[in-house]
Amino acid sequence: MSDINYLELCVDSVARAVRLGAEWCDVSAGTGRDISVTIEKTGIKTADAGQGEDLAIRVFVRGGMGYAAVSGRDPADIAEAVERAVALAKEATPDPDFKRLPAPDPAPQVEGLFDDRVAGMGVADVVRIAAANLEAAKALEPDVNLSGNVGLSVGEGALATSTGIALAVRGTDVGASIDALVKRGSDVGFFYDFDFGRFLADCRLEDVGTSAVLSARRFLGAKRIKSGRMTLVLGPLASYGFLGGVVGAANAESIQRGRSYLCDRFGEVIGSPHLTLVDDGLIPRGLHSGAHDGEGTRRRRLTVIDRGRLVSLLHNSYTAGKACTESTGHGTHSGGISATNLRPALGERPAAEILREVREGIYLESGELRADPASGDISASIDFGFLIRDGQLVHPVESAMIGGNIFDLLAHLDAVSSDAREEPGALMPTVRIQDVQIAGAE
Amino acid sequence: MEDLARYLCDLAKRRGAAFADVRALHRRAESILVQDGRADKLAASTDRGVGVRVLVGRCWGFASADSLERRRGEQCVDDALALARASQEFVSDPAMIAETAPVVAEDRRLPEIATGAMPVKEKIARLLEYEHSGRSVGGDAVVNSIVSYSDGVRDEVLANTAGTLIRTAGARAVVTCLFVASDGTIRQRGMEHRGILGGAEILRRTEPDEFSVAAARKALALLKARPAPAGRFAVVFHPSITGLLVHEALGHNAEADAVWAGQSILEGRLGDELAPPTVSIYDDSTVAGAFGSYAYDSEGTPGRRRPIIEKGRLVGFLHSLETAAKFKTGPTGSGRAESYDCRPIVRMSNTFMERGTVPLAEMLRGVERGIYLLDGHWGYVFVQKGQFICHAGQARMIERGRLGDPLRDVSISSMTLDTLRKIDAVGDDFEMKMPGMCGKEGQSAPTDCGGPHARVGDVVVGGHAEE
Repeated sequence: MSDINYLELCVDSVARAVRLGAEWCDVSAGTGRDISVTIEKTGIKTADAGQGEDLAIRVFVRGGMGYAAVSGRDPADIAEAVERAVALAKEATPDPDFKRLPAPDPAPQVEGLFDDRVAGMGVADVVRIAAANLEAAKALEPDVNLSGNVGLSVGEGALATSTGIALAVRGTDVGASIDALVKRGSDVGFFYDFDFGRFLADCRLEDVGTSAVLSARRFLGAKRIKSGRMTLVLGPLASYGFLGGVVGAANAESIQRGRSYLCDRFGEVIGSPHLTLVDDGLIPRGLHSGAHDGEGTRRRRLTVIDRGRLVSLLHNSYTAGKACTESTGHGTHSGGISATNLRPALGERPAAEILREVREGIYLESGELRADPASGDISASIDFGFLIRDGQLVHPVESAMIGGNIFDLLAHLDAVSSDAREEPGALMPTVRIQDVQIAGAE
Repeated sequence: MEDLARYLCDLAKRRGAAFADVRALHRRAESILVQDGRADKLAASTDRGVGVRVLVGRCWGFASADSLERRRGEQCVDDALALARASQEFVSDPAMIAETAPVVAEDRRLPEIATGAMPVKEKIARLLEYEHSGRSVGGDAVVNSIVSYSDGVRDEVLANTAGTLIRTAGARAVVTCLFVASDGTIRQRGMEHRGILGGAEILRRTEPDEFSVAAARKALALLKARPAPAGRFAVVFHPSITGLLVHEALGHNAEADAVWAGQSILEGRLGDELAPPTVSIYDDSTVAGAFGSYAYDSEGTPGRRRPIIEKGRLVGFLHSLETAAKFKTGPTGSGRAESYDCRPIVRMSNTFMERGTVPLAEMLRGVERGIYLLDGHWGYVFVQKGQFICHAGQARMIERGRLGDPLRDVSISSMTLDTLRKIDAVGDDFEMKMPGMCGKEGQSAPTDCGGPHARVGDVVVGGHAEE
């Protein structure tokens, strides 16, 4: 795809940094191209394309980190970035908690990260997918107002370190995300759907618009509700955000530095026995899969919460060194920590059965049920939710909120469905939580 | 960069574009992160490239490259033209562009302290001073601290086929701090952030007492705060919450691209009374030194003060060149692009409610039982249905007109039009100190927001305890 050997560029840049005084160093470089078609007012508004290259270098001197990033391929810019990273590392405060960068750790490739079909697609293909969505959605709902994007990206790159790691990677992504707005007089129904994958064959991109329309219709007729404590059922999209937030909070750096609600909870029960959360970066064709993390550490399957107990933290090389343990393969090249594919353990009964048992509650289809990272307190809007009465979704709700603390919600989680929405790499079940404070406007 | 931008515009026109604009950009940035007594992460970045936007027939095409080489720019022109041509058949709302007089100008707003003029060691020393000052307030109760600084300079050229050629140079700098306090049972955070059009002078202007010491005190105070109640309450907004309200609840709905696309609840409401006559709300990119200010937007239209609501009545939207043409009005200088690789879209700048006449004490006296929200953190909105949320880092109960117990972690959610209608008091004070990056369609834009204290008669509060 490119006339540049990025692995050689990374290896050369590492060598140059070491000559300038880097004690430890890693360099990532690569190129990517993307195409995006924007839909607005149920038509195509614009088609965009971009192509770019970048290089990022991380240097450690006495544990202090200097980092420099540069776009393009100008050799003078790259040389300056290397010099700058070394100079910054020398000015940084020494950090005895930094121990080492990862050593080479060969691992088999994860299958299905690059699709030749996606790599071979051009703007006409993306336009065709967008047009198919428009036509299908209009056939279903002639006055629908659709907006969104259809696009793809193709990238390749490399990572080299002063410890001898030399990796080349490549990947593809393709997807569609479409909002649908339907009106009946002054009543508004609005929702979205999406489909993303690394392989074209894993997606049903032409169906996203109709799915969004069908969902948007369900949100017509929203009403206010009364405040009270009731059952909260998280649909697949809502549970993915909520449970993903819990795994994200198991970030070892946040915990080591004392700023997480999970501080001092390692090894303890933090939720109900129905809750088992696995982070798995090795799922073939997974959107967040790869043989290695951004530092070159082998990825793995990691159980973070086992039947309610916090059993693992997400580590990069820095936090692992500080804790005298092994990195779990969740490092990013810039020094952060990032979760991969979320795989909650599924329960024994289907979502419909779990819902049918609810006498009064809220079904959260989608919403940012985020906890304060330090306190774990939650004060969130019910962005897209329904009132449940006697096991049925009665009507969508407006101007309502959820309040509580993350530990209360995790403790009161009493069911995970046996069925789940699947996106490449991720499982999204339905989850039920008892006795949650809901604030309504009625 | 001027020659390249002009050349590519001419090329696009010769090859069939009815309109084209080209933005060439070079930017550099640096950042320092201080954590737990160490400046252990120092970073720098350099970025340059060109973006070409063309209007062909009924559709836009846009292409970018991370290079200022003529060859790459020419490829962008060809790609943008091909992209626009490929989409013609499926356009439902033909693209158009407002005809405006060409602008030839240069605007250089360089920082008082040029990039690199303040040694890194001096910056680190100042950040460590902030951190030490904050930690000294709380002693062992402060369990984590982060102080960060970043600055960036950008040099940009815009040219279009109407003859506009603008060169701008500017800089922005941000300093933020976060302190986490714990009493052994719970943890709470206190944050402060400052942002300016400028450079390292922000470190000389920002004093520890009103920055890191204030943030540490917030975290400590929150340890004694209780969870907020849940339900409907009268609320008094601190200016930072008023700022979130006008930005999230109203401002995004007043962006004319959303209105034209039928995605905003303000569609068809121009001229309507949406709020009491005491309420006036503006977006103004000419506020001196404010984080969201600029001389020209990314389409070459001069920035200006744009009325959105005046005396309660909806009087205007924020326009780009395209939405101005579609609404048959003039552009307002609201077409902004994050970088060379982004299309300009309609954005806010500094958005605020104008000062009123009611002192805070009088505002509070009118509340039998309610909540005073302060320390605005974040918010978001669904413009399609007019539902927004604003999160406050701190709050106080209001009991019989007096401030009562401190509350923690509280958000409000409501419908925009309902909330505007229920504003029943506008304060006689004013503050705009919410510099931040606003996200829309994958792009970030520097903005600020604020206003006076304001009171709303009835809003849903998402707390823990039923009322």
